[in-house]
Amino acid sequence: MDRRKLLTLTVAGTGCAIAGAVGVPVLINMMAPAFAESDIEDWRPVGPLTDFPVGAMQNREVVISDQKEHHKLSRRSLYVWRRSDQEFVVYSRACSDLGCPIVWDQGSEWFFCPCHGGIFDKNGERRAGPPQRGLWKYSNRIQNGVLEINVRSVPPMA
Amino acid sequence: MKNDEKPKENAVHAAIDRLALGPIWRKFFARRVPKARWYYGDGATLLLLLGILIITGFALGLMYSASPDTAYASVVNITHHQLMGWFVRGMHYWSAGMMVIIVLYHLFRHILLGGYLPPREGTWVIGVLMFFLIIINSYIGYTLRWDERSVYAIRVALNIFHRVPWIGDELVYFVQGGWTQGSPTLSRLYAVHVIFVPILLLGLASYHLYLVVFHGVTTIPERLNPPETAEEQKELYDRLKHHEDEGETFFPYTMVESQIFAFVIFCVVLGLTLALGPRELMPEANFTETSFPSEEWWFHWYSAWVAYLPPWLTTWFYLGFPLLLFLFLILVPFVDHGANRGLRRRPLAVGMIVITVLGLLTLTGLRLESEWTAWPTKELVPLPVQAQLGPDAQRGHQLFTEYSCISCHALGGNGGDVGPDLTSLKVRLSADELRDFIRQPPKHVAMPAYGERLSSEELNALVDFVLVAQTFPQKY
Repeated sequence: MDRRKLLTLTVAGTGCAIAGAVGVPVLINMMAPAFAESDIEDWRPVGPLTDFPVGAMQNREVVISDQKEHHKLSRRSLYVWRRSDQEFVVYSRACSDLGCPIVWDQGSEWFFCPCHGGIFDKNGERRAGPPQRGLWKYSNRIQNGVLEINVRSVPPMA
Repeated sequence: MKNDEKPKENAVHAAIDRLALGPIWRKFFARRVPKARWYYGDGATLLLLLGILIITGFALGLMYSASPDTAYASVVNITHHQLMGWFVRGMHYWSAGMMVIIVLYHLFRHILLGGYLPPREGTWVIGVLMFFLIIINSYIGYTLRWDERSVYAIRVALNIFHRVPWIGDELVYFVQGGWTQGSPTLSRLYAVHVIFVPILLLGLASYHLYLVVFHGVTTIPERLNPPETAEEQKELYDRLKHHEDEGETFFPYTMVESQIFAFVIFCVVLGLTLALGPRELMPEANFTETSFPSEEWWFHWYSAWVAYLPPWLTTWFYLGFPLLLFLFLILVPFVDHGANRGLRRRPLAVGMIVITVLGLLTLTGLRLESEWTAWPTKELVPLPVQAQLGPDAQRGHQLFTEYSCISCHALGGNGGDVGPDLTSLKVRLSADELRDFIRQPPKHVAMPAYGERLSSEELNALVDFVLVAQTFPQKY
C-alpha cells in the first residue's frame, strides 16, 4: 500500500460513504408507497336492496374514499347487476385491458369499451377485442338490507 | 497620452477574457467541419424545441397548481384568463408534439445513415436514453391537465405496469403513490415532468452535443469510402475539415443550414399555435361520466396497433414492445459491424425505416377511424331513399336499433364496424340460416345470442328486414 493508493482509496471510500448515506435512505423513501398494505378491506354502501330490481343491470355512483386527497376521484361509477334475489355482481367500469371506461348496452346486453374494441358480456366474460380476462368484480355483501362493496377488492388501478 | 486605446474595446476584451469565451468560440463556433447538408438540422431543431419547452414550461409552472383540487382550474385559468396564457400553453403543446416527430426523424435518419457506427457509439447510446425521456415526458405532459383524458392516460400506463410479473400490484402502488389515483399521483407525475426528466435531458443533451463536436457527424465522403475502424474515420474526418473544398467553418456556414431547418419547424409550431391554439380541455378528471378517452395524436399509432394485435399477444406486447425497442436501439451499434454508411449501401436499414414510417402513418390513419369500437345508439339507422319496407320489415328496422345490431353492423356504411356491413356481405344466408344465426351465433363469432330475448314474431320481422337490407346499395 503506497501513499498514492491510500489516497485513491480515501477518495473512493469517502465518496461511496456519502453516496450511500444519502442515496439509500432517499431510495427507501421513494419506494415507500410500493410497500403500502394491500390486504385491507374497505366496505362501502352502494344502495338499499330495494333500489335494485332482480335481473337488472344498473349504473351507480359510489363514494370509494373519504380522503380529501382523492378529491373528485373519490366518487366512482360502476355497474350493479342483481342476478337473483340475494346474488349481486358489481363490475368496475375499468376495461380489463387498459382501464378505459366501459359502457353497458341494453340492446345487446353487452359492455362496450371505447378504446380498442374490447367487448364483455353480462357475466363479465370477454367476448371480443384485446382484453385477456373478464371484467374486474368488486366483492359484495348485504348488510341490514344495504348492498355493500369492498372497494379494495379490485386491483389498485381498476 | 500614449496608451490611447479605446476603453470600450478594453471592456469587451476583458469580459471575453474573464469569462474565458475564447476557447468556446474557437472549439465550437470557429472550428472547421466537413461540409454539411440542410437536412442535418434536425439536432439543432430538437435543441430549439427543448428550449421552447423549457421557457414555456417556466411560465406554465408559475401558474400551474399540482393538486387534484386545483390543477384543472389552474389550467383553465392559464388558458382563458391569463394574458397570453393560451399562447404559452399552445407553444408548449405543439412543441411537444413536434419534438416527438423530429426525434423520430432524427432517430430514423441515423439508422439510415449508420450514424451510430464507430466512433459514434457513445453519442448514439446517450441519444437513445434521451429518446425515451422525450417519449415519457410527452406522455406525462397531458396527464398534468387533470382532465378526463389525463386520468385515463394514467390508468392505461398503470394497467401496463400491472402486468409486470411478481410485482405488478406494488408497481402500481409505487407509481400511483397510493391505493387509488389522488394527490400523490399528480405530485409524482408533476415532479417527473418538471424536475427529473428536464434535468436529465439537459445533462444528456449537453453531453450528446459535446460528443457531436468531438466525433463529428457522418459526412458524405464517409459514405462514399466507408472507414472500417474508428481510427480510419478520424483520419478521414481530419483530412476533410481542413480541405479547401470539403471543409468549412461551423459558424456561420454550417450553422445557417441548421438554423433555417429549425426556423421552418418553429414556424410550423407557431402557425399551429396561432391557428389551433392549445389542446382543448375535456371535462375535469372524474371516474363517473361516460367518456371517450383518447391518447394525444403522437400516440395514435400505438392505440391502433393494440386494437389490431391478436388478443393473445397483447400482454406480451405491452411489456415486450418498450423493452425490445430499448434493447434493440441500445444494442444496434454493437451488433451492426458493417462499415457502410449512407442510404445506398444499407438496404436492410432502409427497408426497416420505410416499413416503420408507413406503419406509423397507416396505424395513425386507422386510429382516426377507430372502426373496432362498438357503441350503443338509439338512432334508427337511415334507409336508402327508394327503400320500400313492408310492415314486418319496418318492425324489423326498429328491432335492428333496439337490440343494438347497429352498434356492430353498418348498413351502407352507416353504423358500427365491428361485424360485417350487411349491405356488403360476401356470403348471403337464407332466411332460416339467418334465424338460427341470430338465435345462437357460431362459437367463434363475437355476437350475442338473441334466442332467449326475441319472440319468434320479432325474430321473423328482424330477418325480414335483414334480407331487405342486404339488397340496399353498399354506400348511401
